[in-house]
Amino acid sequence: MTVRKRQMKLGLFLWATGHHIAAWRHPKAHVTAGIDIDHYIRLARTAEAAKLDMIFCEDAAGLREANVGIASQTSRSIGFEPISLLAALAVQTERIGLVSTASTSYNEPYGLARTFASLDQLSGGRAGWNLVTSANHIEAANFGSTGLRPHADRYERAREFAAVVAGLWRGAEALNHDGQSFSVKDALDLPRSPQGAPVMVQAGASEDGQNLAARTADVVFSAAQTFEEAKAFYDGLKGRLADYGREPDDVKIMPGVAPVVAETEAEAREKYEQLQELIPDDVGVALLSSYLSISDLWRYPIDGPLPELPPSEGMKSRQALVIEQSRRDNLSIRDLARHFAGARGHWRVVGTPAQIADELQARFEGGAADGFNVMPSWFPGELDAFATLVVPELRRRGLFRTDYEGRTLRDHLGLKRPA
Amino acid sequence: MHLAVSLNIASAAGRASGLDFGRIAGFAREAEDAGLDMVVISDSAAGGQQASSPFEATTLLAALATVTERIGLVAGVSTLAHQPYNLARRFASLDIISHGRVGWNATMVQDPREAANFSRPEGISNDDFRRRAEEFIGIVQGLWKGWDADALLFDKSGGRFHDPEKMHLLDHKGEFFAVRGPLNVARSPQDTPVLVVSGLAEADLDFAARMADVILIEKQSLESAKAAYDDLKRRTLAAGRNPDAVKVLISVATGPELAADRLEAQFGSKGCDGFNLALPADVPALEDFVDRVVPELRRRGLPRPDYTGTTLRARLGLGGGNRP
Repeated sequence: MTVRKRQMKLGLFLWATGHHIAAWRHPKAHVTAGIDIDHYIRLARTAEAAKLDMIFCEDAAGLREANVGIASQTSRSIGFEPISLLAALAVQTERIGLVSTASTSYNEPYGLARTFASLDQLSGGRAGWNLVTSANHIEAANFGSTGLRPHADRYERAREFAAVVAGLWRGAEALNHDGQSFSVKDALDLPRSPQGAPVMVQAGASEDGQNLAARTADVVFSAAQTFEEAKAFYDGLKGRLADYGREPDDVKIMPGVAPVVAETEAEAREKYEQLQELIPDDVGVALLSSYLSISDLWRYPIDGPLPELPPSEGMKSRQALVIEQSRRDNLSIRDLARHFAGARGHWRVVGTPAQIADELQARFEGGAADGFNVMPSWFPGELDAFATLVVPELRRRGLFRTDYEGRTLRDHLGLKRPA
Repeated sequence: MHLAVSLNIASAAGRASGLDFGRIAGFAREAEDAGLDMVVISDSAAGGQQASSPFEATTLLAALATVTERIGLVAGVSTLAHQPYNLARRFASLDIISHGRVGWNATMVQDPREAANFSRPEGISNDDFRRRAEEFIGIVQGLWKGWDADALLFDKSGGRFHDPEKMHLLDHKGEFFAVRGPLNVARSPQDTPVLVVSGLAEADLDFAARMADVILIEKQSLESAKAAYDDLKRRTLAAGRNPDAVKVLISVATGPELAADRLEAQFGSKGCDGFNLALPADVPALEDFVDRVVPELRRRGLPRPDYTGTTLRARLGLGGGNRP
């Protein structure tokens, strides 16, 4: 009997016209993605043909950007609501996992458990729930006038929410839950999930977020620029699992990666630069302003250097480093703005299929990731490029499956079926 | 004559009914081929007994939208189990997935078991439920109009994705809800999903006449149905709307004794705009409908589809967009 080599998990992170802020302006980007269900069916089938573990939709119940002028220059103000989107995809695909984000702040556990249970039934056991507590003021204003709850309160509510949902998914007996934030009397009126229970996903990186993930999550999405950051997060979270009576392998940690791939490195760099050129100046400057906590950056000449800035309370050490580097390398405000707007805090890898596979392999084998959540810079082109160039390279190295081993999302991810 | 068929997927008494997705999809396609206007999926998150199909209504509707082409798809979803922003958003999204064929059936009757599963162990009075539902429905309709039909520009070279002047805040502040808006879903191909209301008490009639696109009523006799129909049309006119802007359908059970004669007589006497044929959610009922009821309706030349577009609004002869 041969022992199969450990293989990485790969998710496709769907987002509007693509993850790059200017994706929608790419000449070949599908600009009407937010109103075209057939486009999403094609993307899902591409991901499934590549044998990816899952499709992931993040979500916010509100606009992404408070400044309406800036918002109108990005494609993120409109799109499908993710649960209805994934329910449609469930019957148009056969094997790929379907994970949607939903908030514990603006839902009730009985309704959410029921909706995901239904998605799980429609897909034959391929559903997952990405739990978020929603830290966004724009969303909060759509759900009352009291504003955002404090961080600790949101996590207290989320802990109770997750426990109630897990109870509903696993139990046939009346729940009779009477807690701090929720009361739920009955059992769920839908049958038990084909995979035992939908997969639980989380992404919170705060102390509270990591503890909640260690307690309840099957999959954790993370953001890490460097190997060291990724490794530290990985070891930290895996190290917490024993406190909750869980094994290191019970949770799969999948950092985001934004690949730009082409046959040659020069071509890949050119593709990336082409997107960078499409970032509208005021969008880039607005994002940089908010990153650096400088409200009036737009007053300064965009081809000139960053202005002298007084040290501010909100400034973190990493931002100070950015300013230092911009001075050293003599970068203009536009240069810096494009740099930040393009990267969005995620790990970007630009290069050939072999170079990208090298980077992924190093993090996977170096104990910094169980897999990756792939964030194509624009759709459909960069997804097609990843599927046709990078995935075959990973397969050649024995790092990724050649076919699905099972039927359910838990099967794909190698997760235990809950009792 | 407008014809809906409704399926209560939460109704079976604790046993599997065999209503898997393939079975329900096949039924929806049969209804579509027969020329029916819409399938109404009734649902309840009331808990307790096992439902007769393993699905929640809105997710089922999304899936059905991808395997049908012309028939309207309506889901009953409770105001107590949702926040208005989330519900408006789900239906707006369903409407785009279905190319403008979706409706929301808002019931004005509270399910007595529901409050206990939605963190209201003390329940909610019928009066509060009504005022809350009215406010809720108003918010949902307002959110559905947050984006003008021509708001999206898709102007790649000019860098203008949408026109910010054509996106509107709701800024609702009421007794039960505060909702700023706008929705983060584009305008529906039929402008707004069709609002169906059902479960009306006397106190709901003016509200329904003011807000609804379709009203479902349950009356025992031909005479009482006619009286209710005339009353609703009067109230619609009094609310400043064209009486034709609201379609009143009478719900009838389709047992073995489906009285096609009665349906024709009722319609002929202008006592309704059509019927909602209520089916038990089990395989024999669906088979009976397809094998017996549909041919009988066809033999009589009912329904008589008379539509100029493919959206549900166009099918029903309602105002609104038709940009599938």
